[in-house]
Formats: sequence, structure tokens, C-alpha cells
Amino acid sequence: MERGREPDADVESQTVGSSNRLIRSADTSGGGGTAGSGHSAVWPTVDGALGLSEERSLEYARSFFLRGFCLLPFLWAVNCFYFWPVLRNRSCTSFDLIRPYVVRSAICFLIFIILLSSWVLTFALGGERLFGPVWKELVMYNVANKLGLPGWM
Amino acid sequence: MDQTLIPSSSSLSSPILETLGEEILRILYPVSFCMLLVVLLVSALSSPVTSSISFSSIASLAYSESSSDSFWSKLSGAFLNSLLFVVSITLLTFLLVLLFYFRCTPCLKSYMAFSSFIVLFFLGGETSLLLLSRFALPLDAFSFLLLLLNFSVIGILSISLAKVPILLTQGYLVVIGVFVAYWFTLLPEWTTWSLLISMALYDLAAVLLPVGPLRLLVEMAISRDEEIPALVYEARPVDPPPCFRRRLWRERRDSFSISDVSHRPVNPPQETRVEIRVQESGEGSARPELETPLMLSQNARRQEAMEGVEGIGLGISGAIKLGLGDFIFYSVLVGRAALYDFMTVYACYLAIVAGLGLTLLLLSFYRKALPALPVSIALGVLFYLLTRELLEAFVLQCSINLLMF
Repeated sequence: MERGREPDADVESQTVGSSNRLIRSADTSGGGGTAGSGHSAVWPTVDGALGLSEERSLEYARSFFLRGFCLLPFLWAVNCFYFWPVLRNRSCTSFDLIRPYVVRSAICFLIFIILLSSWVLTFALGGERLFGPVWKELVMYNVANKLGLPGWM
Repeated sequence: MDQTLIPSSSSLSSPILETLGEEILRILYPVSFCMLLVVLLVSALSSPVTSSISFSSIASLAYSESSSDSFWSKLSGAFLNSLLFVVSITLLTFLLVLLFYFRCTPCLKSYMAFSSFIVLFFLGGETSLLLLSRFALPLDAFSFLLLLLNFSVIGILSISLAKVPILLTQGYLVVIGVFVAYWFTLLPEWTTWSLLISMALYDLAAVLLPVGPLRLLVEMAISRDEEIPALVYEARPVDPPPCFRRRLWRERRDSFSISDVSHRPVNPPQETRVEIRVQESGEGSARPELETPLMLSQNARRQEAMEGVEGIGLGISGAIKLGLGDFIFYSVLVGRAALYDFMTVYACYLAIVAGLGLTLLLLSFYRKALPALPVSIALGVLFYLLTRELLEAFVLQCSINLLMF
């Protein structure tokens, strides 16, 4: 598919100028869609032209960020992944409304991951030495066996 | 290559060839990945101990097989089972046609969200519990619950909402296919094979007969210019060659046909809709949506709203769509082959890929909705039987006598 991309990039570099670098980076950061079509600048989502436009992406960024607080921390990860071009292009001013939400999502997700991994590692490596008999009560395969889950379906 | 702006059938052929291979690959990768995951799951979790998990579902209501039965009773029992299954699927598909006819789109959408939640939460949870027990991973109950909840809720969002990364939607569709296929492989053997064969025949009938429910659905969707709400995997559209970019032409959707929608009840409370829609957007002739990014995004969004249709067709944006049912039944075939030996896995995989390629070829030839199951399943079953009966003996004797391998 190089043939499809290179002439396009040449056209873009001639006509669009400085935003060519942004288009390229948006193009390569997620790969998808016709981000370098020359009709618009950078797309805020990782899907390029197939994704959201800038106006709608603000509401989505905000809703993903707020709903992540309802015990859904992976929505923050989805937020960061989806708006990856926003995080990458710090120079593009049109993203200034979206960027706070994405950055806060990234920070919250990092904090969550640190907490979760420390708990999981403590649980896994500590084992019974650290927790005592409670460990056997909490570990998932015992809980599942107690509740009769594997044969449930 | 000198690409002129004047479209003609001959100059259209090379741009087609440029993108056809890429498009086929983009549908082949997820199908292969789904099959690989199912084979891994089957080989990791199958053992004489775990086969005691009884999987009672609508697919084994009429007859539950036991290995001590005679050949004919097994055959007739399996036939009864699959007949029951196909009848229930037909009824459900007609129900879907009825709902679509009366435009109950919220009904259909909520049903889809509900069924994908059931598959991801319960089936996914069970499968991961089996994996945790098998590999003795010390995960505690709270984190397991949290992760599972996140996984299923985001899965629902990505399938029903179109505003998530395309990669996420595609990944979740593949994962749903993997879970449903794995649970189908838990059925008894004769039932599984007769089920596959009957589903292939049903697919053929439902898509090609004028009275078939899937064909009705496709025609209704085309006449109304709407999308069918169902679970369908859409490959990302390939960028067209630059000469097509700035041409705003033609009528759209002249050769789109959507294939059938099928419901697959796994358990009485569960259903997943598997649909394959590979639509060929006419090589260049029906790609006006790719001309400007705005049109592309509009049409792509409309297409993302489409889910779960069976058959192969071309999407509006030129992307090939394959319904989830085809994913599932291909993986069931390969998973069942994996329960025997890895040799049959390789043979069946090659057969299925060959069948898929053949179906895509026929699709480009006929330009209408085609059932993706029959050719692949026929080839797969044939290769499985041949490998099991003939090839295995040959390879075994060669290896024992140190002739090959």
C-alpha cells in the first residue's frame, strides 16, 4: 500500500506545509483512514478519518473520563488509546479542550495500575505466609470451587 | 503505472488487484487469530477431567450422547439435535426479520447488548476460571471480579456504541467469537459435526432461497437503505489508489447485499448473533464515499452501526464484512479437530482458508450476498475425514520407519 500513500504524502507536503508533520504523525500513530487527504488537518482520534470529529470527541473524552470513576478504570485506558494523537501533538492548539481530559485519564489509569499490580503481586507472592488462612478463602479458584462455578453452565 | 482519470473496466482491474490482496488479508488475520485462540483454549483446557463438565444447551436437548451407544443411535441422535438447533435458529431469525420489519431497532440493539454481555461476562468468566484453575494462578476474587466487570462493560460499549477505536471493536468481536466457539466445542462429537453440516446447509438455504429469512433481511435493509443491527466484523477499509481520491462519482450501494443474520442460542438464556457480511463495494465503481474524508467518516459510521449480519458482502466503504457466525463455526470446526490431533488442525485450517478465498472469489463474481459457511465447512469436514482416516496412518508409518520427519 505504499503506492497509495507516497504520492498522497507528496501532495500534502506541497499544499499543507507545516501541518504535514502533524498529518504524518497522526497517520502513523494509529494507522487507519485517510488522514492525509488534504481536506482537513489532524484528526483527534486514533482511527484518523474514520473516527470522530473534533467537536464530538470533546463530549466523548469527557464522558469516558467521568464514567471511569464508576469502577471502570479501563475506560480511562480506552480514552488514552482512542485520543492518542491528542496526547502526542502538544503543539496543535485545536485539541486544547480535549487534552485535559485525556491527560487526567492517563494519570488516573497509571495510579490505578500501580495500585492494582501492587495488590495482585502482594497477594500472589505473599501467599499464605503473609495472609494466613484468609488467603485460601480469597483466591479465585477456591472461591469458584466453593460456589460450584466451573460446572455451572 | 499510469493511472488515468477515465474509468473503464480494464483500467479498474489493476486498482482492484492492488487492494484485493490487502482486503482479503484484513479479513483473514482475525479469522486465523480466532481459530488460533480456540485451538489454544481447547488444547489447554481439554483433559479427561474437564470433559466431565456437562454442557447442556439447546444444541443437545434431544439426545445426549454417550460413548457406549451404537453407531446408528449416535448418528440419529446427533441428527435430531442438529435439526432441533437449526429449527430454533430459523424461528429466531424469522423473529428478527419481523422485528426489523416493524422497525423495532431499540429492541434489536438492546438484545444485542444483552447477549454480548452474557457471552463476555458469563462465558468469559467461566473460561477464565477454567484457565485459572488449570494453571493455578493465584488471583484473588476482588481483582478478578473487577477485571471481569471492566472487560464486559467495555465490551458492550465497543460493540453497541460506534465511538470506540475500531481496533477495540474488532478485538471484542473476535473475543466473543472465541468464547462462543470454545463452548460449542464442549458439545459431544457427533452432535458437533452434524451441527456444522446442518448450519452450512441452513446458511445456504437462508441466503440463497427467495424465501430464506436472511435474504429477506438483506433485501429489506437494502430497500430501506438501513443497516441491520447485528454482530458483524468489518475489516478496516483499504485506502484506494490516489487517482480515485478526488473523483466524486457514481451511485452508491449498487452492489451491496447483506447476508443473513443468524442467532445462535448457546444456552437458553444466551444468544449471539453471528453474521458475516462481506460486501464488495464495486472495485472503484462504488467508492464515492472514499473521495472525501467527511463522506468516508459518515459512511463508515453508518456502517459501524451495522452489526451481525451473515454472509459476505462489501461494505459501503469497500471494506469486507464477515459476520460473527462464520467466525464461530470455523473456529468450532478447528477446535473440534484440535481435540483429535494437531495434524487435523492444520488440514482443517488450510481447508477453511481455501474455502474462504473461494467464497470471496465467488463474491466478486456474483456481487450479492453469499453464505460464507457452506464451502469452508464442506472442505473442512472433508479434509478432517481424509486426514483422520488416510493421512494419519501414512504419516505415522513414515515416522515409525524413519522415512520422513
